[in-house]
This record gives sequence, structure tokens and C-alpha cells, in this order.
Amino acid sequence: MAQPVPERDIPDLRWGAILFAALIMTLLMLGAWEWHWRAYGVEPSIANSDALWATQRRRIDNGEGDGATVIVGSSRLLFDLQLPVWQKLSGQRSIQLALEGTSPMFALEDLADDPNFRNGRLLVDVAPELFFSGFALRQGVLKYTRKQSPSQRIGQWLSMHFVEPYLAFDDPDYALPTVLARQEWWPARPGMHSPMPVRKLMVVMDEDRASHIWDKLEKDPAYAKLAQGIWAQHLAPSPDDPSPAQLQKTIDEQIARAAAAVAKLRKRNVQVIFVRTPSTGAYLVWEDKVFPRAKTWDVLLAKTGAPGVHFQDYPELQGFWLPEWSHLAERDAVRFTQALYAIIERDIEHRAPASIARTRSPQGE
Amino acid sequence: MVFNSLTFIAFFAIVLAIHSLPLAWTIRKVNLLIASYLFYSAWNPPFVILLWISTVVDWYAAQGLVKAQKPMARRAWMLLSVIANLGMLGYFKYGGFLLANFTALLASLGVVYHAPAPDIVLPVGISFYTFATMSYTLDVYLRRALPARNFLDYALFVTFFPHLVAGPIMRPTELVPQFEQPRRAKRQQLFFGLALMTVGMFNKVVLADGFLAPVAEKIYDSDKIPGALDAWMGTLAFSGQIFCDFAGYSTIAIGVAMCLGFAMPDNFRFPYAAVGFSDFWRRWHITLSSWLRDYLYIPLGGNRHGPRRTYAALMGTMLLGGLWHGANWTFVAWGGLHGVYLSVERWLRKRFAGFRPNVWALLVFGLITYALVNITWVFFRAKSFSRAWVVLRGMAGTNAKAVPLLGTESLVVVAVIISGLVITHWLMRNRTLESVLARAPATVLSCTWAVMAFAIIATQGNGNAFIYFQF
Repeated sequence: MAQPVPERDIPDLRWGAILFAALIMTLLMLGAWEWHWRAYGVEPSIANSDALWATQRRRIDNGEGDGATVIVGSSRLLFDLQLPVWQKLSGQRSIQLALEGTSPMFALEDLADDPNFRNGRLLVDVAPELFFSGFALRQGVLKYTRKQSPSQRIGQWLSMHFVEPYLAFDDPDYALPTVLARQEWWPARPGMHSPMPVRKLMVVMDEDRASHIWDKLEKDPAYAKLAQGIWAQHLAPSPDDPSPAQLQKTIDEQIARAAAAVAKLRKRNVQVIFVRTPSTGAYLVWEDKVFPRAKTWDVLLAKTGAPGVHFQDYPELQGFWLPEWSHLAERDAVRFTQALYAIIERDIEHRAPASIARTRSPQGE
Repeated sequence: MVFNSLTFIAFFAIVLAIHSLPLAWTIRKVNLLIASYLFYSAWNPPFVILLWISTVVDWYAAQGLVKAQKPMARRAWMLLSVIANLGMLGYFKYGGFLLANFTALLASLGVVYHAPAPDIVLPVGISFYTFATMSYTLDVYLRRALPARNFLDYALFVTFFPHLVAGPIMRPTELVPQFEQPRRAKRQQLFFGLALMTVGMFNKVVLADGFLAPVAEKIYDSDKIPGALDAWMGTLAFSGQIFCDFAGYSTIAIGVAMCLGFAMPDNFRFPYAAVGFSDFWRRWHITLSSWLRDYLYIPLGGNRHGPRRTYAALMGTMLLGGLWHGANWTFVAWGGLHGVYLSVERWLRKRFAGFRPNVWALLVFGLITYALVNITWVFFRAKSFSRAWVVLRGMAGTNAKAVPLLGTESLVVVAVIISGLVITHWLMRNRTLESVLARAPATVLSCTWAVMAFAIIATQGNGNAFIYFQF
């Protein structure tokens, strides 16, 4: 039997009036929602999405890769290195590819295999916990970039120009399911180890991913304390932690991967500079214990032959305020960027690469 | 392009505006055709060529069928369509699967063969539009329908963007006649179409992606061992997710078509209130069920050649139906289980032909049906048989080293949403959405619409593709 032409009933109601009332109520609810988050301290900002990262990665493919300064890493160099300051000093707008909670290894290897990136400089953020473990929360961004459809590109453009700059609540931290899941009324389930997920820490200010720490962490001690508490939970021993032997194996693998990538980049005249970004408090204590410098940073520089800037080696990289132990306050991020640029220009740009880090001892000689 | 994206909102607003212009009907159809190609190519432009191939081959095959005099010639034209469509489907959807199984077969015979990685990209919606175009040629071959009068109407039937990538799987007799007469949505159609789109988006963005998918992922994409509570809640979450995702898509598609002045058939009728599996398949993915019935089950013999042939046709149809969903043996197992359920039900109905269940018995049978459907979902969702067995053992409470995987908030959210979903299906079992809305107070409808719209925006969906896009 051939299927007949379908018929659809339209309920006999005043749909125009129903729609109009619904529209007004929706706008009122959205207004209240927006007001609530603005009162909490949230401001509209550009979404730190995979699509935004893709726009920056494509700058290398589209001709900016020759002689560019590219930044890969995790949240520390993403928040701490201020692109406008760097541009003022170098005259060049860098390409920011660092991603929060993510080892830079996949991006480092991707760039090492990309002939479009040559004659440039690559700053590699070394946050020990991520770099030497290889943990990559957002590794999927590369696959996304390669497979991004025209529709997704258009959506990114529309969102970045018509939604994100105007709506504070348009942030994954304030999505309805996330907000509901983070309420304190949920009792803990017996026997379940579930550390609190990381809260919003950053603000993206520009289309080129220029970012800084969210000022609520500076202004609201309770929020900074919450962020510290979350780090403390993450740093606490867990049954899922690898054994010392497994961890050392992972560290060695990551260093070997970095060495291979650096060798490829060197052939294309790309100068790789490792940067151990500042941390403090319980975070630094934990990093020094689990990823001691002698077994990680020093080995990395020795095996790769690349220069590095360790914040503990330079007096000008001391005395910063890190509200939640891991990221610089916005004002200090400016000073950090200026100091880092000066160190690179002074100590690395004009000296033999492999000798730099080894000439320094901890705590700035 | 997915419906739940800013790109689609902009695209649809433009299409709606252009379609509303006082232009000749042919020009408006050409506009819709161009819009549909843009809709498809916004995902991956080169694959629009496959769509053209499928369209052109079946157009000429149907024309050839009309002109052919001899049965052999008619059969040849029909086979051209079937081979071209199934060939494309076979290569793009099953190429890697066949190669992997061939390699495994050789390995089992002691032959070491390292096949090069095929790396074939699956064109979105290929399973849907190949079935739609094949149904056109098969209907003409079986003399159920006449071919379309002009190529534009036929091409628009294949490509019409609301149903293009994930159905409902339309038959030419359902849609081509609608393109023959000028159509523009009346105000009531437009507003009700928008209401349906909101309901669909709420299902997809809020319930499926926002609340249920993360719970299912915690169970199915983890390497940890779930206990009974977690395994059941993860599976129930997926049962809700797959329904809200796919029924949500279908509802949006129906709403979009309605806003443009066209009618599309229901694809779901409250399936979790099904009593028995034949009832379930009359309520779940209805357009695929009827396609498989008309073009597979009946040609395989249906119920006209004795019980054995009937059971064989049932099993064959469901196994192939399972494989249609994905190139993985887990989907075949899913289809096979449904085939077994349908066969057992058929046998029971014959054995107890005089049995008339009361309301309570119906409820019990309905809950048994729902529980058994959930067991099949394990194979549908798990990426491997090993994970499926882990979850099934968890559901049976026999996992020795189980650990809690879901927090209290996940358990509560799933319990609330799934209870609400199943109760709604039972309350709506013998009704239609339209009949219930017609009796609802306008204030309630406005408030519900507003809450749904707010929840959609506040959930901030990240434009996840619909699950059925991969099929």
C-alpha cells in the first residue's frame, strides 16, 4: 500500500496570543537569570570554546605560521601571559593555543608536524601536573578543528558576535544542568569519591583568546577559598593515583615525546622555550613533592636541549599574588608578561639555547 | 547543519522569510531545493554529490521503469536503483566494518593480513536518504505509485531539509503531492509549528543532552564496574536520552515543515507505554518500521508462507534493521534481541489467543516490555560486547567489584525525568499531543512554552549532533 499524504491537526487555539505571552515570560525569566549572574560578578565574555581555539589554530595554516610566536600549554600560560602586553613589547600578536586542564603535548606534536609553522618561536607552558602526566582534558579540540564543518564555523561567528558579548550567563559554568548539579543540598553518596569540579577561573577578553584570571578570585575571598579547596581535593591522594614507577614511566614518555617534537621544530628553525609558570601555596608544595624539579624540569631541558625559564630562577618572577595558588592576579600577569619577555630577550634570544637554564640555580642564583 | 544550532536558527529565519515572499510556486520550490542543498553541504560540501547521485539514479530508474515493457527490463531498472543506493551505503557505512571482519576472519584461519585503515567518513543521513530514494523506485516498480511528474518535485522530495538527514523517512506518495500545489503556512500553522519546534528542542537540548547523556556516559564510557543501581540508572538514562534525542529531532522536523506549510507523519507515539513488542514498533521510529515492513519483511515472505517463514522473515528484518543502525555487531545483537522478542510474542499470542488482559495485566506487561527494551538498549549504547556484558552483569547485580559511579544528583535527576517520561507515555498512550493541547487552558500552554524556551536557552546546548545522524 502506498502511504497517503499525511494530515496534521492544528489545535483550535489562539496560538498568536499564546506565543506572545510565552515570549514575554521567556524574556522576563531570561532577564532575571542574567541579572542573577551579573549580581554574582559574572560579565559577558568570549566563550573559550573549541571553535575559538580552531580560529587561532587556523591562523598558522592561513599564512601567519612563518615567524609567528605561538603559545601552547595549560591554563597558567593562558591566563598569565597577557597578549596585549606581549604585543606592545614584541610588535607581534601571538597565537594563543594553551588550553586549561590540558597538557600541551598534543599541540606541540601537532605543530611539530605542521610545515606551515617555521622560523618562529614556541612558548611551552610547563605546569608539572599536566605536562609530565600527559593529562589532556581538551585534547579533542584538534580533531574538532580538523573536522569543523562550515555550519560550525558560521555558528561560532554568530555566537561570538551576537550572543557571547552580551549575555553573562552564556558560560558553561552557569548552564542549567551544571548549576543544578552543584547545589549543596545533594547528599554525598556513601563510598563515592567525587571531588568538586573546577569552577570558573578565567575570562576571555578577545577573539584571539587573550585571557586573564576572573577578578572575582581577587575580590571575593570566599570564592578564592572555594577554588583553593577544590585544588586541595584534587591534590589529595586518591586510589586512582599511579604508583611511583608508573608515574616515572609516564614522565619519561612525556619527555621523550617533547624531545622528538622539539627536534622536528628545530629543523624548521622554530625556537622552543619551556616556561615553568608560577604556582604557590599547597599547589607548589604538592608539585615539588610529586614532580620534583630534578626528575622533571631539569631532565626535560637536558633531553630536549631547549632553553627554559623557571619562575624560581629569576628574582623578577617572584613576589606575585596567586589568589588560588595556581594563576596570577590580573595586575601581576602584566608584570609577569613584561618580565618573561625581558628574560627571553636578554637571556635566550642572544645566547646559546642549551646553556641558559643550566646556568641558573633555584631561587634566582 | 543541526537543528539545535545558531546556524540553523539564522538559516531557518532566512528560508522562512524567502518562502513567504509572493513569488511563483516553482521559484519558491527552487528556493527550498537550494536551501536544502545548503543545509546538507553546511556539514561537508563534497558529500552533496552523493545526494545528487542518489537523486538522479532513482529519477532515471523510475523513468526507465515506466517505459520498460518486459519484466526483465523492469527488474533491471529496479536493481540499478537498489545496487546504486545500497552500494553507496555499503561503501561509506559498512566499508570499514566489512574490512575489519574480513581481516578477523582471515586471522581466525591463521592468515595474517594487515588491511590499510580505510578512514571512510560516513556522510550524514545517507541511511535515510538512500531509503527514501529507494522507496520511490520500489513503489514505481511494485506499481504502488506513479513517478513524479517533474524532476523538481522529485528532487525536493529527496532533499527537503526537514527530513533529509534523520527522517521521518518519507515516501514519495506522502510528499511529492504536497509539492504539486502552492503551499504557505497559515498563521496557526506557523505558530503551532514553532511550538512543536520548542517541544523538540526541549527534548533534545535540555533532557537528552543536558541531563541524561552525561549520566549514560558515566556508565557506558567508563572502564569502572557498575553495580545494580548504577547500571540500571545509566541504562534508564540512555533509554530517555535516545527517545528525547530522536523524538525531539522528529518533532522539530515536523514543526519546521509545518512552518513552511507542509505536513510530515508522526515518527513516535509514546513508545514507552507499549504493551508488547509489535506495539513498541508501531510506536518507535514508525517510518522506519513501516519501511522495513513494506520493503523487507513482506518481500521476505511476511506471514503468508507459514510460521517458519514468518519467524525467519521477522528475524531477518530485525537483524538487518539492527545493522542499518550502525556498522557494529552490537547493533545486530540489538536487532536480534528485538527479533527474538517479536517472535516469542507472536508465538505467545497464538498460544494464548483467547487471553484478554485487564488494566493491571496490561500495566504489568507494559512494564515488562519497557524493562526488556532497556536490556536491548545496553547493546545499542555499549561500544563493545565486553562493556555490554559488564553493564548487563551490573543490572543483574552480579558484578563483584562494583563501585558507585553516579552521584546522588545524577540518580535523582534520572529518577525524576524517567518517571515523568514513562508516566507521560502511559497517560498519553491512546491520545495525541494535539488532542490534549486542544483542551488545555491557554495560560498553561503559554507558561509551559516559556519554561521550555527558558530551559533550552539556559541549558546552553553545545550543538551536539543528534544520535541518529550517525546512522
